Amino acid sequence: MMLTLMVFLPIFAAVACYFLCRRSERAGQRLTLGVTVLIFAMALSLLRMPELTGGVGSFWGLCGVGVHFCAGGMRTVMAVLAGFMWLMTALASPEYFDGARLNPRYFMFYLWTLGALLGVFLAADLMTLFIFFEMMSFTSYVWVVQNETPQALRAGETYLFIAVIGGLTMLMGLFLLENAVGALSFENIVKKAPKMDTGLRYAVGVCALIGFGAKAGMFPLHIWLPKAHPVAPAPASALLSGILTKSGVFGIIGVTCWLFDGVEGWGLLLLVPAVITMFLGALLAVFSTDLKRTLACSSMSQIGFILTGVAMCNLLGGHGSIAACGATLHILNHSLIKLTLFVAAGVVYFNVHSLDLNEVRGFGRDQPLLKLAFLSGACSIAGIPGFGGYISKTLLHEGIVEYCEHLAEHGRSAAPFRAVEWIFLLSGGLTLAYMARLFYILFLAKKPAHQHRKPGRCMNGMTASVLVTGGILMPLLGLTPHATMDRIAQYALPFFRREPMAHAVHYFSLTNLKGALISVTIGALVFAFVGMKWLTRREDGVETYRSVWPRGLDLEDAVYRPLLRGLAFLGAVAARLVETVSALLVLSQVNFIFLGAKNEVVPPEDPEFSAYRTRSRRSRVERSFSADLLYAACGVLALFLLAAWNMAR
Amino acid sequence: MLIVLSFLIPAVSAVHVFRMHDAEKRRSTVIWTMIASSVLAVLAGIFGEALTFLPLSDTLYLRFGTDGLSLFFVTLVSFIWCLVQFHAFGYMKHEGKEEQFFGFFLLTYAALVALAFAQNAVTLYMCFELMSLASMPLVLHNGTERSREAAFKYLGYSTLGACMALLGFFLLGAQGNDLSFTPGGAKLTGDPKVLLAAAFLIILGFGAKAGMVPLQMWLTEAHPVAPSPASAVLSGLITKAGVLSILRCAFQLFGRGMLQGTWVQTAVLTLSIVTIFTGSMLAQREKVLKKRLAYSSVSNVSYVIFGLFTFETFGVVGAFLQIVFHALAKDALFLCAGSVIFAAGCTKTDELRGIGRRMPVTMWCFAIASLSLIGIPPMGGFAAKYCLARGALAGGSTLGLVGLVVLMLSALLTAFYLLPIVAAAFFPGRDFEAGQPCEVPKTMLVPQLVFAGLTVLLGLFPNGLNAVFAILNGLVL
Repeated sequence: MMLTLMVFLPIFAAVACYFLCRRSERAGQRLTLGVTVLIFAMALSLLRMPELTGGVGSFWGLCGVGVHFCAGGMRTVMAVLAGFMWLMTALASPEYFDGARLNPRYFMFYLWTLGALLGVFLAADLMTLFIFFEMMSFTSYVWVVQNETPQALRAGETYLFIAVIGGLTMLMGLFLLENAVGALSFENIVKKAPKMDTGLRYAVGVCALIGFGAKAGMFPLHIWLPKAHPVAPAPASALLSGILTKSGVFGIIGVTCWLFDGVEGWGLLLLVPAVITMFLGALLAVFSTDLKRTLACSSMSQIGFILTGVAMCNLLGGHGSIAACGATLHILNHSLIKLTLFVAAGVVYFNVHSLDLNEVRGFGRDQPLLKLAFLSGACSIAGIPGFGGYISKTLLHEGIVEYCEHLAEHGRSAAPFRAVEWIFLLSGGLTLAYMARLFYILFLAKKPAHQHRKPGRCMNGMTASVLVTGGILMPLLGLTPHATMDRIAQYALPFFRREPMAHAVHYFSLTNLKGALISVTIGALVFAFVGMKWLTRREDGVETYRSVWPRGLDLEDAVYRPLLRGLAFLGAVAARLVETVSALLVLSQVNFIFLGAKNEVVPPEDPEFSAYRTRSRRSRVERSFSADLLYAACGVLALFLLAAWNMAR
Repeated sequence: MLIVLSFLIPAVSAVHVFRMHDAEKRRSTVIWTMIASSVLAVLAGIFGEALTFLPLSDTLYLRFGTDGLSLFFVTLVSFIWCLVQFHAFGYMKHEGKEEQFFGFFLLTYAALVALAFAQNAVTLYMCFELMSLASMPLVLHNGTERSREAAFKYLGYSTLGACMALLGFFLLGAQGNDLSFTPGGAKLTGDPKVLLAAAFLIILGFGAKAGMVPLQMWLTEAHPVAPSPASAVLSGLITKAGVLSILRCAFQLFGRGMLQGTWVQTAVLTLSIVTIFTGSMLAQREKVLKKRLAYSSVSNVSYVIFGLFTFETFGVVGAFLQIVFHALAKDALFLCAGSVIFAAGCTKTDELRGIGRRMPVTMWCFAIASLSLIGIPPMGGFAAKYCLARGALAGGSTLGLVGLVVLMLSALLTAFYLLPIVAAAFFPGRDFEAGQPCEVPKTMLVPQLVFAGLTVLLGLFPNGLNAVFAILNGLVL
């Protein structure tokens, strides 16, 4: 009951909020805040309610398939995280949206998406998950197009189509799976999966991977992500980047650990796009000259890190606990980081009204709070020891290393995985490089002379409190890994179907620090030579940040759109062919039936068919087609009367 | 007697309506006729007793009766017809010649109800032809050159289809069969090859009404020129009359046992898959809104035929769900399209930019109906698609798998051709000047709202419907 309430309360509140918001925006915002506080409290209370763990709360025959919820483990962690993210962004929203148009619709879909997302995280079976997943795709579309700039509309289009394509592909996979195993509850899938036909199993897996991967921003379906996240309002970007992508990751974890438990081939299949995503995202971020786009590409890269962890967890089989813990913690850290960074970007935006690095540079020189919060986020995402990101990256790294050792023990070549390890470290280095560059530009570089600036304080108390919370949480978690992070990870492990870690990891031991050190070194080099030299041009002491990424090198414009257009064209040609053939088949017949009778029925001098008002009553009866029909009706009537008489006799 | 009354009353009243020039009087006549005959039709569906007329020979007679299928169809038709007429009262002011429209509107309703109660092939054929004739002037309404062509195309295709079906009946009758509908099949005798050929002819013929390839062309000609309420019932219900005829003949004349696993099943499945693909693909290329919706109907009605010919419980239940939800969603879409034409005068899809600001309620209905048509949960289309997909896979055949893929492809294309309209309507761009609000009057809004609301409500809780369809399934398989 409680879980059902958690999912449906925000959805109903959303509708109420819309109408409230139209009357008084302040009241609407209060309602939004109230609902998010309530949801966060309910999510926290789930931690204290072991009886809901694994328990299924079903809800009539919703949608004909029934909707089932359960809590516990990873689900609760994700629900708490979602509640937290929504609460924080609800705090930051009033200032960001102050005086903007069309807010009622934003707040409505803001709450609605919360309900849908909780439905995804608390789903006890894949069909429930799918239903809320689709709902979430559509409601979050409104966030992307909220500003209605041309870029936003185009990004929204891309977002929507990728979401629809992904959703339908996933649905097809679910149909195949349901046909093979029956009920789609996770327990049933685990039980029946090993008996499935291998080809079918992979077909289902790939369909699901396309669906979830599209939402997670996995290569090659990432194209919407770097476009959609920057154009949304900042609080929405924080949610899109920080937690909505995680719903895709959550689904991929489900598929990997429940459908493909112990199937090594799947781990490899997942690892390839994961590694590409990890590296490509970081590379795109280095070359970006837009504040929010850099952060969005960074999100893509971090999702790649998480998925790498999931793949390693699958490859390691029963020993995958470390990788699983790494993935869970990186989900958590990344959400916190992106919350802080995007809210900070929002502060920059509503002060300067630009996100171009050339225009916002030096904005934060005299903003200590903003600077510290941003620094905390940057350090965490770059994996600097002492911050949360370091812990999760260490665990992920450890997972790869462990698998290399495992392969060496069994006398198999570990070279490809050594390569993966190096790509991992390199991507970590690039992360540091682009974050350092952002930090340098925002907080250390000189302000341009003409920088537009909102008068007064740069942010209000509520926004500041969000930044402070995020900024403090990251070092707090990072400095007390055993007391906080390990326990969260262990709590989430049952969803991965892994045993708790055999021994505690010594996070600050020399071997583990070595990985971070390599990354930091690479990052420093890249920052110094690429970021500061190649991408920065200095003229008369004024720095400009160049965009050197070739304009044509865009997967969406260069490949997907032409491909889709071509396919649509081919399909249309085929369809037109069918139509023409069938028309030809019929044409002769139709002409035969009418024998040119057209002119008989409707007199050519009277284009207004049966416009007989101007004519005499007599000609109306004689000449109109409706009169013919009336004759027919009279005939039928006569027949009936005849029949009735017949029967009476 | 109830049965006969239920379609005689609107027919007689229709004759009367043709002569009524006083708008108020006509309106109240139409409303009361519709309400009375709807109630009567539903009552007849429950309590009606079978009647046999005109026994010309021992196998050739007219027979009306009722069963679950009749009741289901009559209820659906009456409900939708009643609501559409309210929209039509508003809309037809803009088109003129109302007495003509409402006369044929009632006459078509009468023919449809009679068709639903037809209990043997001869009766079915007669009602089918009557329906084609009565609904043809709805298409012809504008009286322009184009609508005249479209109307004759419509009539031609319907007649051709009916002739093919009649030929099929002759083939059966020549073997000395009694063509009454019986659940599970009428135990036909004769050369199996001839029987199968007859089955194919009949299905293909009635398929013309359902917009199945190769007789689908009339739909896309007729809809754009017909007044919107007429398009709504043509697309939502009259196509379903074709489906009902197919259903009656294929399942209650031939029976599942005779058709399952034969070339007829394969051929019909293939044709329906081709239709689904063709319709969606061409809809996506189409620029005129109502024509796009017509192509979409071509595709969507064939979902039903596909579901029926899987011969699986899930498929048949899915087909029934699709009948209901397609009728609701497509009627909502056509009524919304009509409202847009009525209030803003836009007929092309690219003229609809920003219309969501001017007509928010109408476009919300449009959006909900679109989502239902795509099959996005929790709208009703999802429940239908879920059952259809299960049905397609349950047989384990390759054709079923192909069907599933095409279903998904078609859903994707549906998203491609409907969602951009909704997106542009609500998100026209930052500096777009939308113009004055121009929402249509309440009587036109209510039917749209009811249809859109029902796709959501019944989509959320389709289990009641599922239970009904499980019973109907017993009459079919």
